[in-house]
Amino acid sequence: MFSSEFLLSMIVFLPALWAIPLIWFDGQNKESMRYWTVLGTALTFVLSLQLWYSFDPSQAEMQHLFRYEWIPAWNVNFALGVDGISLPLVVLTGLVSLLAALASWSIDKHVKGYMMLFLLLETGMMGVFLSVDFFLFYVFWEVMLLPMYFLIGVWGGPRREYAAIKFFLYTLAGGVLMLIAMLMFYFNSFGPNGEGTFDLIELARIAAGKGTAVRFSESLQLAAFIMLFIGFAIKLPSFPFHTWLPDAHVEAPTPISMILAGVLLKMGGYGIIRIAMPLCPYGAQYAAYFLVALGVFSIIYGAFAAMAQTDFKRLVAYSSVSHMGYVLLGLAVWKISEGKTAGADYWAMGINAAMFQMIAHGISSTGMFFMVGVLYDRVHHRDLNKFGGIAQLMPEYAGLAAVIFFAGLGLPGLCGFVGEIFSVLSCWNFDPTLAIIAASGVILTAGYILWTMQRVYLGPEYKGPHPEGITPFTAREKTVAYTLVVLAVLLGVFPNYLFSRMDKSISGMVQSMSHTYDTHHGAGANMETTQVR
Amino acid sequence: MDPQSTGELLRNLLTVAWLLPLAGFVAEIYWLRWSHRLSKTAAYCAVACIGLGFICSASALITWGVATRGAAFSDAHGGHESGHHAEQHHEEHEPQLGAAEGEKVAAADPHNHDNDKKHDHKNDEHKDAHAATEHAGMPKAFSGTFYRLAKFGALNVSLDWYIDSLTLVMFTMVTFIATCIHLFAIGYMKDELTEEYEDHEVHTSHGHFTRPGRFHRFFSYLSLFCFSMLGLVLAGNIFQVFIFWELVGVSSYLLIGFYIERKSASTAANKAFIMNRVGDFGFLIGLMILWTWCGTFQFADVDHDPGLFTMIRGNDGKIDVSEDGKQVYLRDAHGHRLESNGKPSTIGYLLLIAAGCGIFAGCIGKSAQFPLQTWLPDAMEGPTPVSALVHSATMVAAGVYLAARFYPVFTPEVLLVIAYVGCITLFVAATIALVVTDIKRVLAYSTISQLGYMMLAIGVAGWGAGLFHLVTHAFFKSLMFLCSGSVIAGCHHVQEMPRMGGLRRKMPITAYTMLIGVVAISGLAIPVLNIGLSGFYSKDEIVASAMAYSNANRVHFLLFLTPLVTAGITAFYMFRLWFLTFYGEPRDQHVYDHCHESPRIMTTPLIALSILAASCAWGWGTSGTGNEGPLFKLIAFSETVPSTEAVTLNGLTIPSHQGHHSDVHAVHGKAGLLALIAAFTGAIFAYLMYGSRVINPAEIRRQLPGVYDFLLDKWRFDVLYDAMFVRPVHIVSAWCADFDKKVLDAILHASASVTVLVARWDRLFDETMVDGIVNMVGSVTRSIGYSLRVVQTGRLRQYVMWIAVGVVVLFGVLFTSLPK
Amino acid sequence: MGSVGLEEYLIVGAVLFVCGIVCMATKRNAIGVLMGVELVLNGANINFVAFSRYTPLGLDGQATALFVVVLAAAEAAVALAIALNYYNNHLTIDVDRGNELQG
Repeated sequence: MFSSEFLLSMIVFLPALWAIPLIWFDGQNKESMRYWTVLGTALTFVLSLQLWYSFDPSQAEMQHLFRYEWIPAWNVNFALGVDGISLPLVVLTGLVSLLAALASWSIDKHVKGYMMLFLLLETGMMGVFLSVDFFLFYVFWEVMLLPMYFLIGVWGGPRREYAAIKFFLYTLAGGVLMLIAMLMFYFNSFGPNGEGTFDLIELARIAAGKGTAVRFSESLQLAAFIMLFIGFAIKLPSFPFHTWLPDAHVEAPTPISMILAGVLLKMGGYGIIRIAMPLCPYGAQYAAYFLVALGVFSIIYGAFAAMAQTDFKRLVAYSSVSHMGYVLLGLAVWKISEGKTAGADYWAMGINAAMFQMIAHGISSTGMFFMVGVLYDRVHHRDLNKFGGIAQLMPEYAGLAAVIFFAGLGLPGLCGFVGEIFSVLSCWNFDPTLAIIAASGVILTAGYILWTMQRVYLGPEYKGPHPEGITPFTAREKTVAYTLVVLAVLLGVFPNYLFSRMDKSISGMVQSMSHTYDTHHGAGANMETTQVR
Repeated sequence: MDPQSTGELLRNLLTVAWLLPLAGFVAEIYWLRWSHRLSKTAAYCAVACIGLGFICSASALITWGVATRGAAFSDAHGGHESGHHAEQHHEEHEPQLGAAEGEKVAAADPHNHDNDKKHDHKNDEHKDAHAATEHAGMPKAFSGTFYRLAKFGALNVSLDWYIDSLTLVMFTMVTFIATCIHLFAIGYMKDELTEEYEDHEVHTSHGHFTRPGRFHRFFSYLSLFCFSMLGLVLAGNIFQVFIFWELVGVSSYLLIGFYIERKSASTAANKAFIMNRVGDFGFLIGLMILWTWCGTFQFADVDHDPGLFTMIRGNDGKIDVSEDGKQVYLRDAHGHRLESNGKPSTIGYLLLIAAGCGIFAGCIGKSAQFPLQTWLPDAMEGPTPVSALVHSATMVAAGVYLAARFYPVFTPEVLLVIAYVGCITLFVAATIALVVTDIKRVLAYSTISQLGYMMLAIGVAGWGAGLFHLVTHAFFKSLMFLCSGSVIAGCHHVQEMPRMGGLRRKMPITAYTMLIGVVAISGLAIPVLNIGLSGFYSKDEIVASAMAYSNANRVHFLLFLTPLVTAGITAFYMFRLWFLTFYGEPRDQHVYDHCHESPRIMTTPLIALSILAASCAWGWGTSGTGNEGPLFKLIAFSETVPSTEAVTLNGLTIPSHQGHHSDVHAVHGKAGLLALIAAFTGAIFAYLMYGSRVINPAEIRRQLPGVYDFLLDKWRFDVLYDAMFVRPVHIVSAWCADFDKKVLDAILHASASVTVLVARWDRLFDETMVDGIVNMVGSVTRSIGYSLRVVQTGRLRQYVMWIAVGVVVLFGVLFTSLPK
Repeated sequence: MGSVGLEEYLIVGAVLFVCGIVCMATKRNAIGVLMGVELVLNGANINFVAFSRYTPLGLDGQATALFVVVLAAAEAAVALAIALNYYNNHLTIDVDRGNELQG
């Protein structure tokens, strides 16, 4: 229907363009600005759906790929493209943004500024997922950071400045590490007669040593991987870089929490898959055990920490830490035995599961934050010990919330199950001990989620303040809730719909990386005569 | 009918039966959208769904019977006695297999599914000359795929179906019992048909608690449960079993916690779910091992890819252990050793044991076996129909079902574990049941104990016996639960037996149907004639299997002794229940006066169930009763690894079960007699203590206070678990949260403070050092200027003087310093 | 006694110069100071003329002296104008009474 250039560029820039007319809106007419924003995000979502349907799942390569010169002096291109790894995340971003826009009715302060920042944020997120150029990726990464800072810092809760600065500094620190790694790659990609490049595909080719004059040395890969990993692990977030998350979530307004949990955390996982691993296969393999162990530890640690919380939002935030641990676990189950990749199918399964878990978490966690927000809008507190009996007062809400929470718990038939179980299943091939520890997460997860549901929804009566504020579900809230619930069920029942889109790209990546490792760094490396720079 | 179309027909029938309750669930959960709170239509919808499901399942069973020419009902063992013959038949099936696979209806025949009738039976009326050739092509199990869940390279996960006679029996049993219970529940739950349901057990700050009735919600949950349970039975791979395993778990959670306003109910629901998850943790480990080493979850072979059963057991039912006993060779679809990259594929023997124990851990959780048994008594917080359906007849039996279904993967060591777990469970639960006074909890402990029997049976290789007991138990236990529900409804929610007594005069139907159940579970029979109710036969079978096993393995004599003693205990506590409730004089006049028989909608299911509880093991004019009756034959027909001869592996002997010369058959009479004596002893003691009151139970209680308290505290498991797990978890979680706050955040804050401190120093340095130097240059220049201005007097003559002096000095310097 | 040589010219020039300097340094009257200046200039002029004998052309010293005479005339005119202004401002021509140039 559209040309690739137009489609991808519009997905990225439509929200930002959409924000411009908001300048001339009447500041008092809040309704119209809200509807305008919803319309913009809806259009973006429709475009992302168009992308989904025009995507050919039988190809492993980047599709709709195009490049325009941007800064020729440094060989920086404006390059966008989509493959099976970024596609689901683009659609997820479109969806979560739309739902978050629908959930933004509770924002009453400086609506114009909020909406503009919100749309700008969406542009940043889309850009991150669609960039094929490292420099561009970095730019969008930082573009997304600033609106988020203001959205938390201006429209947040009582400790918003603290939370916003914490978020900003953490992410910025990660960004700086990423910048260093980026420059390392750039200056090491100078061929004998060529020039350096920021192009991710080209860099991955160099890393894989496929017909290129230069190769990244092992020490370079290792150093770069560590820096990139820390940068992305902050975003993921993984223990011990996670403490910004609870604060940011607790202070952020509901729609921003939804975006934060639904999309922003995925950037960490996406960065690892898209950049850290293909660009430093050796580093990724070298650190694999550590990564898996960290993932497993995050799962358990997040679950334990969640159990001790009394703030509803904090609990959900820690559950995110736990759930994103599965992502890290799944990504890194790259087993080497006797210098060769062993059980590549299990690794591909792990990455698939990690990707699925990201999408599933995007739905379940967004839903959980939304459900918490619905309650918060009514009673203006989040103390778990001062709830109870909500199911009596708002039965439909409680039912939908239960589905979403069960999705988070990993109940089969709902989306959370598939990602969790497949990543855990893929882990035994890598290391049985870690697999067993990871599997024990199912008990803890059940524990804290059920206990929470008991304290909030069950029981005879509501015990907290503002009981008069509890009003039935509105139509707008229902729309958001049902969308999420239906998606959770569909993905849980037909996971192959998603897997089939991702599998080609992922298995292509797995093959290329394991081939690289086996020939250049593993047992086959001795026969390799290529000069390593 | 040819096998392929039979398979498709069976699949279609069972799929309809499986999916109908799901449709019912969706409709019922939104019932208020198109109906009102006081209408019973939601219940009718649920009944219609499950009733149709029953019709479909029954039709499927009949289809199966017709397709196998009744062989399945009457002659299960025939083929197994002639092993060689079976091998030949297997070869013959291969072409047919190939023909079917394109249609996704692959015949699963891991073993000799030879049904022809070599063996003679006296009463075999269905035997005819053609049968042998006719259903030689009828496979023992049908299997196929619904749709794919995921595919990663060679790894494939899908939703499959696997239908053999066990599946069909389970389907029919579950749907039948569920239909009865749905009907019963219409009467039992009618209190919910109100806008203002007052719950006397809940107190709020405003006094009594009232809420709108949740009649439709109850039935929607029941439908969800039926869907999940049937899915579990239909599942064609272990992963799918896990999926539905969890779904029945969540249905159970919803049903136990149906009275969401009661703290005890929601806590019990949480406990049930979490304890099941503990078992599922083991299940998951089992899944991981099998997934990693076998690369498939399938039960049956798909096309030419072997399923788990074939991989482990090959076509001859034997585990192919390597010389050193450390590895087990996996087999391909033809029974040969599976190879990958030129090396034979193996799985470590210890790993296989671990996988088996892991899967069994899931069964422990679901079937409330030791050490995870404590959730089931608490689950009695749910409404009684739930207890009857979920927590006695179906879901808790799913653990046994899975242990049976997965039997081929279990090594003898795993079976021994299963046997001992069952053995401990059946004893522990039975002893607790002796002292419990809540009518439902007695039944709950009895359920645990009976499930222990089933597990024991499977563990001692009494595969058919365990499943036989599963089915008979499902009938009589659901019957007894419904009876207790009828009593509870009649007595207006009184559950304590000491407040009852003499109720048989007020509610005769309930009392006598209950008596049928009690007699059935106790295993009483008419001596010599050996005619009894269903429980008699199945328990007989179990005890015989246990005896054969302990004869073969003398060390494990407890495996026989415990069930034997417990048979007596069972009879005792069941009769105690009946006598306390229905016999004698009323002990609480108020309860007695207001008590009434239940309406017909509740008593009809009781009668229907009591007929089956009494008679399901009888022969009905076929080959015989008990282990020669149609039900047992039907179940045993699908045994995947039939033990035709005693097998010894690693010092454990599995006795032979099949036919008239087997080890089990040899001890059958003796074992049956011993069990019967035990049962009678128990029943007589119960009569003496609670019927005729010759012995005063209070006296015994006084003499053994320690034992009594210990039993009343349920062997103190709850206390133990609380101290061992619940509190440590809370402590660790508090640590984690504190670690975040006090360590990670503290580090962050400290680094922030350090940064601020450095910034302060920096400012100080800037202001003093850098600025200081610049300022000093300025001020020095200035002060020099100040000091020099003194010379600038403004006096002309003085300037002239300076000029003169300056010139003189200049000359002086020039003349002295310059060389000539 | 021989002819008058360079030395004598230089002595006269130096005496004139010193007289001028002393006159400038001692006279408080501005006109006196001006006179001292004339003496100094003419002392220098004698030196110019005397040295001009030793240059190849023999004229440049005399030209410079002429130049200085013209300059001295112009300077005297300007200085007398300053003195007149000084008198207008201070009602005296005593140079010690004016210290506006003090720093």
